[in-house]
Amino acid sequence: MVGEKTTRRRFLVAAIAGSGSLASGFGLSMIRASSAWAQATPDQTRDLAKTLGRMARLLYPHDAIADDVYAEVVDGILSAVANDAAMTGALDAAVSALNAVQAANWFDLEEEQQIAAMTKVQGEAFFAAIQGQVMGRFYGHPKVREFIKYPGSSVEFGGYVNRGFDDIDWLPEEA
Amino acid sequence: MRKDYALDDKSVVVVVGSGAGGGTLSNELAQKGIDVVCLEAGSRLTLSDVVNDPGIMNEKMGWNDPREGAPIYICKTVGGTTMRWSGIAPRFQEHEFRALSAYGRLENTTTIDWPITLSELAPYYDKAEYKMGVSGTHNIPVSAETNEYKLLKAGARKVGYKEYTSSRTAINPVARDGRPGCRQIGFCHSGCSIGAKWSTLYTEIPKAEGTGHFELRTNAMVLKINHDAAGKVTGVVYADGSGALQEQKARAVCAAGNVIETTRLLYNSSSSLYPNGLGNSSGHLGRNYMRHVTGSILAIMPGAVNFHRGTRQSGLIYDEQYNRPERGFAGGYLIETLGTDPVSVAAVVGGWGRSTAEYLENYTNLAGIWVTGEDPAQVSNHITLHETERDHYGLPIPVVKYDFHPNSMAVFAHASKQSEQLFASLGGRRMLSTLGVGGGCHNMGVARMSADAKDGVTNRWGQAHDIPNLFVSDGSLFSSSAAANPTLTIVALAIRQADHIAERMKRREL
Repeated sequence: MVGEKTTRRRFLVAAIAGSGSLASGFGLSMIRASSAWAQATPDQTRDLAKTLGRMARLLYPHDAIADDVYAEVVDGILSAVANDAAMTGALDAAVSALNAVQAANWFDLEEEQQIAAMTKVQGEAFFAAIQGQVMGRFYGHPKVREFIKYPGSSVEFGGYVNRGFDDIDWLPEEA
Repeated sequence: MRKDYALDDKSVVVVVGSGAGGGTLSNELAQKGIDVVCLEAGSRLTLSDVVNDPGIMNEKMGWNDPREGAPIYICKTVGGTTMRWSGIAPRFQEHEFRALSAYGRLENTTTIDWPITLSELAPYYDKAEYKMGVSGTHNIPVSAETNEYKLLKAGARKVGYKEYTSSRTAINPVARDGRPGCRQIGFCHSGCSIGAKWSTLYTEIPKAEGTGHFELRTNAMVLKINHDAAGKVTGVVYADGSGALQEQKARAVCAAGNVIETTRLLYNSSSSLYPNGLGNSSGHLGRNYMRHVTGSILAIMPGAVNFHRGTRQSGLIYDEQYNRPERGFAGGYLIETLGTDPVSVAAVVGGWGRSTAEYLENYTNLAGIWVTGEDPAQVSNHITLHETERDHYGLPIPVVKYDFHPNSMAVFAHASKQSEQLFASLGGRRMLSTLGVGGGCHNMGVARMSADAKDGVTNRWGQAHDIPNLFVSDGSLFSSSAAANPTLTIVALAIRQADHIAERMKRREL
């Protein structure tokens, strides 16, 4: 039983990591044209993006990463899921749930209160769905990879055979 | 020298699947001059299709058809899971072939002894290692020591372990057999983009084609095995690339579609003669599904490790593989290195907020261990057919049910403690243990070999107890899981089975 939860979580990540690398290059304009959000006004779409962007930062807060990276991650999610009624429903549910916690616009709360509200709804299905999306796209984002020093694909550079695969230098001397 | 066999050619051996079992068996038979048609559900990639992107490669080579249950990371591509495997190739030990005798009857298990011994399989391990180019065996050089292996070795010495190696890996340390040496690219689980890691895609399959006794048909999904009134199998029905149904006649059929699909195929071949699935008079088909107890342990180390550089699993410790009941569990486990990408790290770390983000900011200094250990067979872990859900061929989708046995939990608890001590001995902190299959899954046991026909689906040769010209040729054969990664043993069994099939054919028994 214990393993199933973990494997599901990782499967979600694997699936998302895949879609993340394929789904870039779309814009918010696509969302309004999509069926699932056909009724959304530009203002509503912007509010949704703003809320999710803030949520993305609080999920994975790295001070050195600029807001536009989180915004790009959200943009990518919104584009990719535009025709996925289950996922758009999850996004809308997240915003409603977060706003409902304090009966106020969650986005305008203090950080501490925002985190408290997220903690309160973290057991909901929509939360895991959004976190999975953010995780794959955020840690797959080129600027985030650069920041945490993960270069990604290496075959075009000849792998690491001459680039430090064995350069560890702080281990205790061999006896 | 590629051959084209007629659909009504009854003289061919049909092999279903082209991975570690099916690809190896096909080549071994073809090398002996036996005509083989290998039917592979996936397509045939070339090395230029292999990119350093796990997501894209999962689209290209993963088995993404509908299935109920947790993910199991099998592959639908020529080469099967030899495209995805890490390359680690340790042998099983002597006592692991006597699981029941060595461990006794654990509660709620269906453990049996293998119908073969290590000494019987040893000559085939030799052949498998030589064929696959396993480092550190048969005068093949040892593998280079990566950062992570050096760390593992230093920690092993600190905690008093004695047996560890960077080798026993089917990744060429130097050029061999027409394939280059490893360039430490680091995406082994997404296919090796230079072919340094052994995969049947660019070894067994082209070699079989070179014999003039082999035809590979790709995008050929086998749906059913047919049999005659006497109960012997006569061929298979498959959907070709256009979706059209074809029937290939055969003198014998060997199922090697990986555990889930092998089970499904035998169930979907039920008939009035075999109402519970082909070869299933014992009722064991799809039962005794084993995976190993697997999991990962991560740590933040005091200096740079850069575990993304180089082979993903670059060494192992053997000290805990032995059966020492005083540890509180039956069987043993192997400690192996593990390197992975930031998305996977985030998934393993779990949670969200500052603490998780800080873990990721230490990416350069992360070290990982992956554990694989003995997993006893349980009747309740099984592959079945879904009652209502159908795939696009109209066949029931598979349902995978798996829970860890308490013994497996005890193995992992011990492995976690040991791994944490190893990391701590080198200044590691924030150790995180996660039980689960991660990016790979060892599927075993659903058509197990048994001495007594009541206890399993196949005999000591992997031949169905019920049907003399039906064979199973993948990890489904395993009578117990042992601790080690299964591919080497699958290959050894396939080589041995090819000898047996050839011998039976010579005696006109097939």
